[in-house]
Amino acid sequence: MPTTQSTPPETVVELAGLSKQFGSTTALDGVSLTVRRGEVVVLLGLSGSGKSTLLRHIDALDLPSAGSVKVLGEDVPALSGRRLRALRSRVGFIFQQFELVPSLSVLENVLTGALAELRGPRLGLWSYPKSKKLRALAHLDRVGLLDRAYQRADTLSGGQQQRVAIARALMQNPSILLADEPVASLDPESSDQVMALIREIAYEEGLTVLCSLHQVDLAIAWADRIVGLRHGAVVLDMPATGLSKAQVMEIYGRVATSTDEFEAVQTELMNEAAR
Amino acid sequence: MTSTLPPRVTLRPPASGVAERAPRPRREPERIAAVLTLGALVILAIGSLVDIDISLPRMLQSWSNAERFFERVGAVTFPETGELLTLTAQTLGLVLTGTLLAAVLSVPLAYLAASNTSPGRTWRVVARFLGVLARAVPDVVLAMVFVLMFSLGSLPGILAIGIHSVGMISKMFADAIEQIDEGPRLAIRASGASTLQQFTAGVLPQVLPSWVATVLHRNDINLRGSVILGYVGVAGLGLEMSYAFKSLEYGRGLGIAVVIFVLCVLMEIVSSTVRAVMLGSGNTATGPFDRLLRRFRRSAPALTPRRPLTPAATPESALHRPWTGGRVRNSIAGVLTAIAIVAGVVVSDIQWNDFLTFWSRVPEVAVRFWPPSFGSYEVATMLEAMRETIMIALAATLMTLVASTVIGSLAARNVAPNSTTRSGFRLLLVTVRGIPELILAIVLIVISGLGTQAGTIALAVGGIGLLGKLIADSLEEVDSGPERALTATGATRLQVYTGATVPQSAQAMLGHTFYLLDTNIRAATLLGIVGGGGIGYYLLNSSQGSNYATVTAIVLMILVTVLVIEGLAIWMRRVFR
Repeated sequence: MPTTQSTPPETVVELAGLSKQFGSTTALDGVSLTVRRGEVVVLLGLSGSGKSTLLRHIDALDLPSAGSVKVLGEDVPALSGRRLRALRSRVGFIFQQFELVPSLSVLENVLTGALAELRGPRLGLWSYPKSKKLRALAHLDRVGLLDRAYQRADTLSGGQQQRVAIARALMQNPSILLADEPVASLDPESSDQVMALIREIAYEEGLTVLCSLHQVDLAIAWADRIVGLRHGAVVLDMPATGLSKAQVMEIYGRVATSTDEFEAVQTELMNEAAR
Repeated sequence: MTSTLPPRVTLRPPASGVAERAPRPRREPERIAAVLTLGALVILAIGSLVDIDISLPRMLQSWSNAERFFERVGAVTFPETGELLTLTAQTLGLVLTGTLLAAVLSVPLAYLAASNTSPGRTWRVVARFLGVLARAVPDVVLAMVFVLMFSLGSLPGILAIGIHSVGMISKMFADAIEQIDEGPRLAIRASGASTLQQFTAGVLPQVLPSWVATVLHRNDINLRGSVILGYVGVAGLGLEMSYAFKSLEYGRGLGIAVVIFVLCVLMEIVSSTVRAVMLGSGNTATGPFDRLLRRFRRSAPALTPRRPLTPAATPESALHRPWTGGRVRNSIAGVLTAIAIVAGVVVSDIQWNDFLTFWSRVPEVAVRFWPPSFGSYEVATMLEAMRETIMIALAATLMTLVASTVIGSLAARNVAPNSTTRSGFRLLLVTVRGIPELILAIVLIVISGLGTQAGTIALAVGGIGLLGKLIADSLEEVDSGPERALTATGATRLQVYTGATVPQSAQAMLGHTFYLLDTNIRAATLLGIVGGGGIGYYLLNSSQGSNYATVTAIVLMILVTVLVIEGLAIWMRRVFR
């Protein structure tokens, strides 16, 4: 077992007064959030509520307009060069669109997760050391795709591609796993597989997970803690255990006072009820 | 390093047996063959570079030759203004009309060649083959033939440019048709439209921007190539220049070269402006930035309610499209284009009677070209000359590829370290593209006195403008997602470049390089005509000595070479899909 679970919980992500403007659009509006080691946090919100932007700030893919971002004890916006890359290598990122290199083999895609540990550019399987290849194969085995190692990434189904992306993130030996709508492009069955995999890995390795979702029932099923976002602000933050879908929907609906969004939430609720 | 990061814990160390259970990497024999072929081509190209002897001592020698040349020649002189204007108008008219003819001929050919519009497989194969054939026969050769059949003037040149350009234009047109979104055409078909209506309403609007860009691009190429037509007797600046060099009036020859150079740069500026304006106003732009913009617009909440564009329009007032800025610009552009085309036809001074009379001369001319024979030349001499042409093309392509990979990468938005670097290298590419390689070759050959080396360097430099731009564009067109994903793992810029950017554009880069090789084979042939060595020299000699059977034999050799390269390119594209 990793040693992380025996130590007392510590803060790994600390956002304070985080705001982000894109031109005249406000994507994040004074978000403060603290995440402890080993927590599985689901960010819940509609499209455009700021979930992706929040996650991107934790990995320094976006820089804040105001406020502070502290990850693993580092002041993220102040990082650059080697130290920035060192932080990024400790934070795995899973994208909605998988973002694999389509023309490369599955194995090479997983290996790109180890680039931060290697020096210099790499092109082709031969350019990676054997120890890394073995580890990549082990991670592929874990996500159940060992037999696809030498296939091109774009020959895989969506669910399989996302599992390769998870293997790539694991290749980084991350402390934190960020997942931006990891199942939004998948069918329900693959969604469950991918969410189960993320959850399982998080528990086994003691990873901290921040995952954005827009489906309430998925959030309840997989989260320790649910954080609701609306118009770039935190409107809900509570443990997920013991919550029912109706309760979350109610709270979520009450805070979504704008009629447009309230209707959108309701429609979604009714759609899901009908299924 | 003063990192405060906690120590890294290795997740799941390699379990034993994974390597044994993993499948063996598959090695398809065809892929291996393709890699070996590529390797062989690279080795051949390096060998050619050594053989052609492009080296520092050689460069120094050509430099001293050039100094002596300028001591001997004295000042560069220009023709009188009136004569200059006439010649310029003649050349521009010839090029414009020829390109337009090619564009018109290309539409039906592209329709038949595109897999999604073609009425059948046979049509497709025939149309594609006609395109390849038109591309393989150099316009100079066509001009040689047409000069025999028509009165002197611009018509042989127009027809030569028109027919030869069909090769490239119809291919690009067809590729554009194949890339359309099928949805709109399907919707139009579902509404009961005829095949032609589907084409004009569903296909044409989608491909038009790309078609116009293709025609403009080809027009630039044709202007650069037009100088060679002068060497076989087509009126214009090229003819005057060849006369000047033949009568050893080097100053005047160089003066005309400068004029053509300036014309090419001006044309390049005009066409790139038109392209930019056109892509800016249309909503069909599919650049990565546009996609990003659209994605952002979709994900951002609509903060302001949508307002109708014109307040309180009645059906009657809405009947007339308002003269918005865009519409005014489009109309002015349309009128200017029409004027340019009419002016082009007028100044070309076409002898329309020729169209009625030339048929009678066809059999007589055809007999002189057939059957092919090497005549008084030895077969070995001809093969050696062809080998030299291929070597020039390979060596030039290799030099261009190396330089373009560096310059093109630094000119790509997603690779350049900052926007200043990118702008700087883009500017460099535009400048280099402005240099017409054949003019550069002629000037280098004349002033350095070295044929093959000067020609190869001219081709290599000229190619950078094209290949550098194509490489930069294909690097910028890659999906930015994988790049972001690798950045998120903590990879360096160089690692992101080789890990995500290059693999995504490798196939396009390979295709572009073969396209350049293909272009260079034909350009290397033309080099011979202006004294750059290789088969072109014999081509010009046989045509001037009226040994037309030999011309046919040489053209067949060129044709076979070009078709082999074309076949290789198709094969590579398929294998490295």
